[in-house]
Amino acid sequence: MGNILKPLYYAVSWVIVTFHSILGAVFGKNSHESIKWSLSIIGLVILIRIILIPLFVKQIKSQRALTALQPHMKAIQKKYKDDRQKQSEEMMKLYKEHKTNPLASCFPIIAQAPIFFALFTVLNGIAHNHPHGVLKGDLLISAQNAKFFGADLSSSFLSTGTNTQTKIVTILLIAFMSLTTFTTQRQLMVKGMPKMDSSNNMMLQQQKIMLYVFPVIFAVSGVNFPVGVLIYWSTTNLWTLGQQFYVIKRNPTPGSPAYEELQAKRKAKGEFSATDALGAIESEIPVEAPKPAQRQQPKKGKKKK
Amino acid sequence: MKYLFILPIKIYQKTLSPMFGDRCKYFPSCSHYAVDAFNEKGVLRGLLMTTWRLLRCNPWSQGGVDYVSTADKSTTRTVLIDQKLVGAN
Repeated sequence: MGNILKPLYYAVSWVIVTFHSILGAVFGKNSHESIKWSLSIIGLVILIRIILIPLFVKQIKSQRALTALQPHMKAIQKKYKDDRQKQSEEMMKLYKEHKTNPLASCFPIIAQAPIFFALFTVLNGIAHNHPHGVLKGDLLISAQNAKFFGADLSSSFLSTGTNTQTKIVTILLIAFMSLTTFTTQRQLMVKGMPKMDSSNNMMLQQQKIMLYVFPVIFAVSGVNFPVGVLIYWSTTNLWTLGQQFYVIKRNPTPGSPAYEELQAKRKAKGEFSATDALGAIESEIPVEAPKPAQRQQPKKGKKKK
Repeated sequence: MKYLFILPIKIYQKTLSPMFGDRCKYFPSCSHYAVDAFNEKGVLRGLLMTTWRLLRCNPWSQGGVDYVSTADKSTTRTVLIDQKLVGAN
């Protein structure tokens, strides 16, 4: 396992070290080490999330394509009002028929998992004086002393000799992670998804359970993770929240409450707002007369080659 | 033996999965498919089918309805051909 991930250790440590040296130009070469190391981890998150943006845009595009399918979707929802299973099955059939699929698949998560694990190993290496990739020598010593609001970047709640500051920061970060995840989920459920008559109750219930489940999951895993990993996790959560907020405001899923709000707003403004930040996407897929299924086809072919 | 594989999936469904929301491109979702595969086909084939399904569930696939019971060799092959055709277009 270690050998397979070795290139990833190199990549992750290289990105962090590179950010660290770039930040040296801003904060001074040998000063503000703590801020520089913390920001380097945040930089790693931003880089990864930027790389993942095309996938996200692709997903938004296929969500847009749903506009055309709206009547079909409503019919399915009506027909299988009391059977959520059948409802999703028929929806999937419909998506397939029209060669679109608004769902993201677990790829973005699975793709991030090895990076997450590599960061975990690299940071643990700092704590145990074990160099990984390009993070060695003087850089290793400097990173060893780096702090995030007084907490050691490389030590975790449960590691031996952890100071109180680290414990407090860990708890705060776990709380922050729980809060961002919950808000993201809630925002999606309240505003971002088409209303479903029969399953509304079930979802609300699920959401209530999650309110308790998140903090437990984060607490159990979080106390084992170095503070640096928690910074990564918190930042990526915050990014997800922001990204979703942007999409729900600008490009909501057809049929969702946010979509209706936007439609109402556009009508009030006089049909079309020129300052649409996602104008590029808009011009590619016309809202009024969409033929998205056909339009996406040739593009896909090109991408594969 | 197969429960050794099914139990973690069930735990995942109850805990982690709600965190990610609906995101699988297939029906039944990959985790339900995996449970079915282990139940119906045993550990070895279950593992293979689950792996293959997870690989097929990616941003470039189209997803759709895909049951374990109907996913015998013939359909798997059609899926492959399907994907090749999409690629060739």
